[in-house]
Amino acid sequence: MSKNGDLNVQLNVKSVEFNVNKKKKFKRKYIYGYLFIAPPFIGFILFGLIPIVYSLYISMTSFDLFNPAVFTGLDNYKKLFLEDPLFWQSLFNTIYAAIGIPIGIGLSLLIAMGLSKNIKGINFFRTAFFLPSICSVVALTLMWKWIFNADYGVLNNILGFFHIQGPNWLGSSTWAMPALIIQGVWGGLGTGMILYIAALKNVPRTFYEAADIDGANNWDKFWHITLPAISPTTFYLAITAVIGAMQAFVPYMLMTNGGPDYSTTTIVLYLYNNAFRYMNMGYASAMAWLLFVVIMAMTIINFKVSSKWVHYD
Amino acid sequence: MLKHAKKMLVFTLIGSMLAGTMLTGCGKSDDASTSVTSKGEVVQLTYNAWGAKDEDAVMKKLLAAFEAANPNIKVKYNHIPDDYSNKMNTVLAGGSAPDVFLTSDGDFGRWVKSGLLLNMQSYVDKSGIDLKDMWASALGRYQYDGKVLAKGDQYALPKDIGPSVLYYNKDLFKKAGVEFPSSENPMTFEELLALSQKLTKKDTAGKITQYGIGPLWWEGFLWSNGGDFLSKDNKEFVMNSKDGIEAMQYCADLINKYKVSPDGKSTTAMSADQMFNTGKIAMIGGGRWMVPTYRKLGFDWDVAPMPTGKLNTWSGWSGSVGYSIYKKSKHPEEAFKLIKFLAGVEGQKLGTELGFQIPTFKSMSNTDLFLQKGQKPEHAEVFIKAAEGQRPGSWTLTPNTKWLDVFNQRITKLWEGKTTAEKLLNEIKPEIDKALKEGNPQIFN
Repeated sequence: MSKNGDLNVQLNVKSVEFNVNKKKKFKRKYIYGYLFIAPPFIGFILFGLIPIVYSLYISMTSFDLFNPAVFTGLDNYKKLFLEDPLFWQSLFNTIYAAIGIPIGIGLSLLIAMGLSKNIKGINFFRTAFFLPSICSVVALTLMWKWIFNADYGVLNNILGFFHIQGPNWLGSSTWAMPALIIQGVWGGLGTGMILYIAALKNVPRTFYEAADIDGANNWDKFWHITLPAISPTTFYLAITAVIGAMQAFVPYMLMTNGGPDYSTTTIVLYLYNNAFRYMNMGYASAMAWLLFVVIMAMTIINFKVSSKWVHYD
Repeated sequence: MLKHAKKMLVFTLIGSMLAGTMLTGCGKSDDASTSVTSKGEVVQLTYNAWGAKDEDAVMKKLLAAFEAANPNIKVKYNHIPDDYSNKMNTVLAGGSAPDVFLTSDGDFGRWVKSGLLLNMQSYVDKSGIDLKDMWASALGRYQYDGKVLAKGDQYALPKDIGPSVLYYNKDLFKKAGVEFPSSENPMTFEELLALSQKLTKKDTAGKITQYGIGPLWWEGFLWSNGGDFLSKDNKEFVMNSKDGIEAMQYCADLINKYKVSPDGKSTTAMSADQMFNTGKIAMIGGGRWMVPTYRKLGFDWDVAPMPTGKLNTWSGWSGSVGYSIYKKSKHPEEAFKLIKFLAGVEGQKLGTELGFQIPTFKSMSNTDLFLQKGQKPEHAEVFIKAAEGQRPGSWTLTPNTKWLDVFNQRITKLWEGKTTAEKLLNEIKPEIDKALKEGNPQIFN
């Protein structure tokens, strides 16, 4: 009896202790969590948040990087809106380049569908299509410069077989942008393909079987089952592609440096030139913030519209 | 308790590793000189420069010679092989730039306008360097009077000057049975056209396998015909003058009408140099810096003056690089000593020997040291004569070059053959004038 009694006393004491130490132990447990996220969090604050807020301030100044910034209020924004046709040209170019997005998403869906059946050499094809995404951009740029070469390039040679005189791709203000769109679509196929292969695998087979029973043909099955089932992936690809397209920079700088005749100058390239060629940090920062607003608006629209066509199960 | 301590140790280690990798992102900028200047103490200077391997080796030799002659000065040499401008911009913005650094004639305008370079006029006056023996435009492109370049005090001293000349493939000339261009008199526009037509070959399908002349270094054509980029006071774009239009139209015709020169499309994959090296172009513009590379080529070549317009003068653009001192350097006296050595006769001698550069001193140019008889090019004196008539490139005219970028973008329409020079130059003039004024307000005040 006394043993049990002792036990009870012990248990009671322990439970009181537990209540008192509860707060302490809780904090202790969470401390490790905070410690773990501290480094990247501090990194974000130091190298992300603070510079971003600083750039908002800079966007309202005139700053050449070497001398103190001079506050100018909303002058930079006024100039951008009212006095800089090149800004609008670069905005137009960037949106023009975004034509590649639906083309790219559509193509990667087609490829994924082709590669989701167990055909021969499926691993080879998957690797081949995904390779561009992990190659060095600079190396790919050199390769594409060769492909687009008007006299000796592969593209014009192929067109020559069909008796089409290929244009001077990178040297023509009409064809330079289409060339870069082609290059961009090709580069982005890999990621879309991988995501779509996974999404397609996850469509429940029962849907297709039910549709077969109801007498649906292949097109019906595609339009009413496949597309809605993979729509979350499509949504993700669309959002990231839009954000990426609005910030497109490296290929445009390396392939054509914005030319000819400013036909391939995207916003970020124009921003870069203003910042580092003309040392107009304030003006460039204002452009960056305007770009932020544009991307934010597009993303919000995307999200709002998504409820109409994206089906989560 | 021990378990808890172990946990803390692990977290601290991981945390400090992560923090360490993050912080390496903010690199330390080059140290400025550290020691105090007083008699007998060693002064440490830092010096930033770019350069290919050969130039780098020569620079090290020069610095060793300087340190031997000046035992109280040590030079820390930072060789920056690429992306020099961007790296310098970062270091200059950080506020602790090296004492002495190379400044290309393109960067000079930006940096001097932002007040980053030390005014060395007083040092230059006391130094005894024979400025009159230096090429005038070499000195001029490192001067600034607060508003315009090429006037006022000296903010840097030239390291070298690189005039442009015409390189030609003698083997291709012999094959076509054509006489070599004169090394004394530049050929006229008409002569160049006739010569290029004889040197342009097509294959059976009609595709051009060999161009008479490479991508045109048209600035010289413009200037020697009486045209120019900007007015004398740099306030206005004047290429749309009658002479300017004539020169530009001639260049466009060479590409599109007579097809003796490749347009941009051919040079996007294979650069002009590569085409020349592989015998696909008979004549090409180039600077002195190509000589060491060309000496290794498999065919015979030589140089001739750039063709001239109706003014019948030697004309072309030249590139240049200068030595400058950081405005906030703690050792300006010693820094200038180093520059005097590098830009003076000693430095010029070693650099010239390599074949890379034209000496900035006229008297040195006409010596065997430069002419290097027995080595290609046979007519090296062409470089000297070219140096007399050359002008700084268009990118050195004003501190802010947005107007030039606009011009370069818009002029592509002319090279594509989509419009005439007269129409285009008149069309783009307002836009260029606007960019010129906006970028360089101090010129207009």
